[in-house]
Amino acid sequence: MAAELHLRIVTPDRTIVDRKVKSVTFDGIDGSYGVLPNHAPLMTGIRETGYAQITELDGKQLSLFVSDGFAQMQHNVLTLVCEAGEFAHEIDLNRVRAAEAKAREKLAGLDRLSAEFLRAEASLKKALAREALARRTSGSGSLT
Amino acid sequence: MANLKELRGRIKSVSSIAQITRAMEMVASMKLRKVQAKAQSFHPYTEEVRMMIERIAGKVQSEGDVPLFQSREVATVGILVVTSDRGLCGSYNTNLLLSLRDRIDELQAQGKQVKFWCYGRKGYTWLKRRGFEVERFFVEPPLDKADFSAAKMVGEELVEAFTSGKVDEVQLCYTRFQSMIKFVPTHLPFLPIRSIAIGAEAGEASQFELDFLVEPDPASVFNVLMPRYLEVVVFDSMLQALASEHASRRMAMKGATDAAGRMQKGLKKIYNRARQESITKELLDIVGGASAVS
Repeated sequence: MAAELHLRIVTPDRTIVDRKVKSVTFDGIDGSYGVLPNHAPLMTGIRETGYAQITELDGKQLSLFVSDGFAQMQHNVLTLVCEAGEFAHEIDLNRVRAAEAKAREKLAGLDRLSAEFLRAEASLKKALAREALARRTSGSGSLT
Repeated sequence: MANLKELRGRIKSVSSIAQITRAMEMVASMKLRKVQAKAQSFHPYTEEVRMMIERIAGKVQSEGDVPLFQSREVATVGILVVTSDRGLCGSYNTNLLLSLRDRIDELQAQGKQVKFWCYGRKGYTWLKRRGFEVERFFVEPPLDKADFSAAKMVGEELVEAFTSGKVDEVQLCYTRFQSMIKFVPTHLPFLPIRSIAIGAEAGEASQFELDFLVEPDPASVFNVLMPRYLEVVVFDSMLQALASEHASRRMAMKGATDAAGRMQKGLKKIYNRARQESITKELLDIVGGASAVS
């Protein structure tokens, strides 16, 4: 049995990852999943503001932000299909801060129950999650 | 002599028009390439979403769990019309809108009401001019700059209109990009979803093994996955329409440039002939005058 797991991360804009890895951890809708090679077939949602961590074949770790998507495991291939995804080192803190400020500003003037409020809240959450991830990895892309 | 001057002016204006159309042709083919690249990088996503849907479809028990599949008595039809914002792209908009008119006539003959959502200014003004109410005209972002989040917004709105009962059926009306020279006006049934079989029959027909874990449960994953799929369909139709627009504009501009070249050639010939004529006439005058003097 192959002790390798094939990981594919696909977003509308590009295919971010398409290679063999050792293991993957990601945030599912109902909790964190750790996937090792030969995991049972599985299908689940990914949290709105999830983050995934890849352990490369050589043991290096790589974390990235993923959001709003689905994960499926089949034939030893783990596919994360999500709307947005970027590596920690790709996150532009200035842009994220701008997004955060914008979302906060929007939130202030909105009715708590309106759809727009929820949307603004979601984008605020995403901005915060990106920021937290970028901070944690201090932009280097690896957790050490 | 006035004639010669006039001709010179015309030749000049034709050649400067040719310059403009040539530039527009180049811009259009560049944009076309960009759209195609976008479509290409979008393709894996489409495939994945579609595969997941088909895979999980067999797990969903009945139509009751999935509102987007329930068809009901159709009284109102919603149509999303995707056209371009600008003209000068040959028969691109005309073809689509002609086929849309046939479709509207057909639906109205059946006594159904039609509501419109518009992407692209041309379709909007066309509908307005004919006295149709447009439910919503998407202006921001323009189709040229539209990304997946725009498709998401449109998709959400259409799904919302369907689930709230505002419309009982949704169709997409856009131009499909078949090849560089062929664009087909297309009407795509969008909601309720019929293109995907669900439940037991899908389970039997499915080429995937059904034995896998679904967390938290099939119906809820499915209901979240479905809007994603619809967004994918919307985005795809937007990209197709955009590719068709640019390809169509490229062709129209190429035709215009060629026609301008031909026209310039013809005018030059006339001009040279007229010039030669006037020179000959002058020469004759001089020779005649000289012989009269001597």
